[in-house]
Amino acid sequence: MKRAAFLRAVIVAAALALPAVAFAQFGHPMKGQWSGQWGPANSPNRLLLDLHWDGKDITGTINPGPEAATIKSVTFDYTDPSAWVVKMTAEGKDSSGKPVQISVDGKLENIGAYTKLFHGTWTQSGKKGDFTVTRN
Amino acid sequence: MTKSLRSALLGAVAVAVFSSSAWVLGAQQGGAAGAAGEAQGGGRGRGRQSGPVTPAPRLPDGTVNFGRVPGEKGVWAVPYITNMAMRVVGKDGQVLPEIQQAQAAARAGGGGARGGGGGGGRGGSKSEPWMPWMPWSAAVYDYNSKNESKYDPEGYCLPPGGPRMMATPYQMEIIQQPEHKRIFMIFEGATHIWREIYMDGRKFPEGEELNPTYLGYSVGRWENPDTLVVENKGFNENSWLDYFGHPHTDKMEVVERWTRPNKQTLHYEATVTDTGAYTRPFTMAWDIPWREGGELPEYICQENNRYLNRLEDDLGQPIFGPRPQPGQKPPTGTR
Repeated sequence: MKRAAFLRAVIVAAALALPAVAFAQFGHPMKGQWSGQWGPANSPNRLLLDLHWDGKDITGTINPGPEAATIKSVTFDYTDPSAWVVKMTAEGKDSSGKPVQISVDGKLENIGAYTKLFHGTWTQSGKKGDFTVTRN
Repeated sequence: MTKSLRSALLGAVAVAVFSSSAWVLGAQQGGAAGAAGEAQGGGRGRGRQSGPVTPAPRLPDGTVNFGRVPGEKGVWAVPYITNMAMRVVGKDGQVLPEIQQAQAAARAGGGGARGGGGGGGRGGSKSEPWMPWMPWSAAVYDYNSKNESKYDPEGYCLPPGGPRMMATPYQMEIIQQPEHKRIFMIFEGATHIWREIYMDGRKFPEGEELNPTYLGYSVGRWENPDTLVVENKGFNENSWLDYFGHPHTDKMEVVERWTRPNKQTLHYEATVTDTGAYTRPFTMAWDIPWREGGELPEYICQENNRYLNRLEDDLGQPIFGPRPQPGQKPPTGTR
């Protein structure tokens, strides 16, 4: 039994390790799917960012699904090439159909690695909190 | 330690990452993989040709034979071109005057052409003003320059994409099969890969049918009996254009022109159009020498790749280590 449990653990660990290799991406560093959360640690809000690069702009969606918000603008400051300053705005609707405004002020770091990191301050409908997402 | 020596050593480490076993093999074969020293010259290559220059061989249909003729051995000794920006040519096929001036200035200053060529390379995007940067591609290149290509995908034993196949310093064979309307390229290096070029006049797959890959989808045609034109689309974003870290996107298209002006030389030209990373197309060119008598040895990049075991990312995490968990503060060391 112990051996079977050990094997299961090895398989799970291997499966978890695979995506890091499988999704290497060296194009525009913001492109791709990002996951994480924003808000207080004891009541976090899950985040999924699905971002695209069309050659001119970053486009995409925050939390695809019924409460999705569409990216409206993204700007970059490349003064420090290893820590880009990124500002993002988005608009969506909540479950009751009310408009939701999102403003993101963050830093993009670990740019060359698989586990790119985007973190900073997330403001949504007047609430503000820290956010952290890593590239999937 | 001087900067140039440090740069040379880093270049050597980069090659060693994907060639630890091949180095030994190469040394046994007359320095076939002893590229690091030459690499810093921006890609003069190895496998110097010797003997008289002779006409390029031909296939029965009159087109150039890019491979061996029956009864002989030989391979193409692909040069190590660390910085392709230093190989950008104008419409006349000559290296841009500003690159020549930068190289001459570097030589006059005693710097030679180290680090991929004087005037370019580790100076980042500003040292290569002829490159049609987009702001983000310049920033990524500056980042790769600053960390001295720490994240070079070839260091992970991932294959090169596009023209880098013709600039990764191992041997290569071209096998033409006109009866099957296809051409194969077999590379010792770059993770022991092969490439197929379709010569049957087909059109490129469209939309999602064009599956993005490291080497892209290649369709070739003879412009004339001397010149093979190969169009390439469908690249993924898992590679760099060169060791110095010029980025590209999946919008990249490459048109290659191959000629064999004589038996000893393959002249290679590649025009890169990438509307995701560069504001206009640019063309690079270089020669690849024929190595008479050469054969392809086995080389497995992945074997004993200790570089990956010790590589840490900018946050001090193992490169393949655990990811930060949701809600976790960025590790110490984050700016």
